[in-house]
Amino acid sequence: MLPFFLYFVAALLTGFHVYTLLTLAVFGAQFNLLHLVALLGSFCLLIAAYVSLFKPRAAAQIALLACLLIWCFYAPATATLIRAKFHRHTSSQLASPGAATLESALYSAPRTHPKPHSTCGAD
Amino acid sequence: MLLPYLAIALLLLATLYSAVVSFSDQKGRVASRIFPQAPGRFSRILVGSLSLALLMGAGLWMASSSNTSTRRPSRFLIPDGYTGWVRVEFEVPGAASLPIESGQYVIKIPPNGILQTSSPEQYGWAKDRYEYDSAQGLRSLADSGPDQRIWAKLNAEESGASGKRKYEEFFVGTQQQFKAQANEQREIK
Repeated sequence: MLPFFLYFVAALLTGFHVYTLLTLAVFGAQFNLLHLVALLGSFCLLIAAYVSLFKPRAAAQIALLACLLIWCFYAPATATLIRAKFHRHTSSQLASPGAATLESALYSAPRTHPKPHSTCGAD
Repeated sequence: MLLPYLAIALLLLATLYSAVVSFSDQKGRVASRIFPQAPGRFSRILVGSLSLALLMGAGLWMASSSNTSTRRPSRFLIPDGYTGWVRVEFEVPGAASLPIESGQYVIKIPPNGILQTSSPEQYGWAKDRYEYDSAQGLRSLADSGPDQRIWAKLNAEESGASGKRKYEEFFVGTQQQFKAQANEQREIK
């Protein structure tokens, strides 16, 4: 029963997390195709959980593929997070609280609080 | 927030576990708690039905609580060659409302990059368009893909002397320009 619970809970957590990130597009966040890939992976992991009740080895193979799909999104995000933390340590600058949450690393852009300024015609 | 860290930890466990089970030799292995055989019929039915009920409950809850509304799309007309932050401030008293053409809000950005409007901010799913506006015509700006020119779009609200103000911001330029200004901001801090 262990594989079922492991795959099931992992699928639910990753799926819910990626789903919440996808819904942020409603509020103007940039759409990221890797979110969809990871969501597909979570769905496959859920299927693997049910397959594990009948064929544990086949389920493990499905789960491995599903995990690789999910890592397509989480691996770069985690790398960005670690790099951001490392950069802050080396630059020894005071970090703004909450700036290094995983959510901020999940987007393509460094999350600063920009002050609008413009340079018209300076492309 | 704990959720992403928990998700990564469980994903790591699931990956390692499934890799070990997938690539290990099954012949002669004794079933254990960690590597069990398929459970009995009663367990399958019990666990399967309980988890399906849980999934359906969660699905219904998410469907009822999620905002699935759509909004009218916006078409941003940006001065030709403009690079930098664009900001649209909503619900500003005395400012003009946003015109609607062909079912889209037309948001003509002035040369300073800041537009104030009395129109309320819209929320929901929609595909916005971004274009450089010049005397020669319109030039489309990609908000994704290799030729992306629109970055870090965000909707926010700030409080000031004149009360709360809702605004939308995004950066126009190449990835290098966007990263360069982000680094500038970081150094200023």
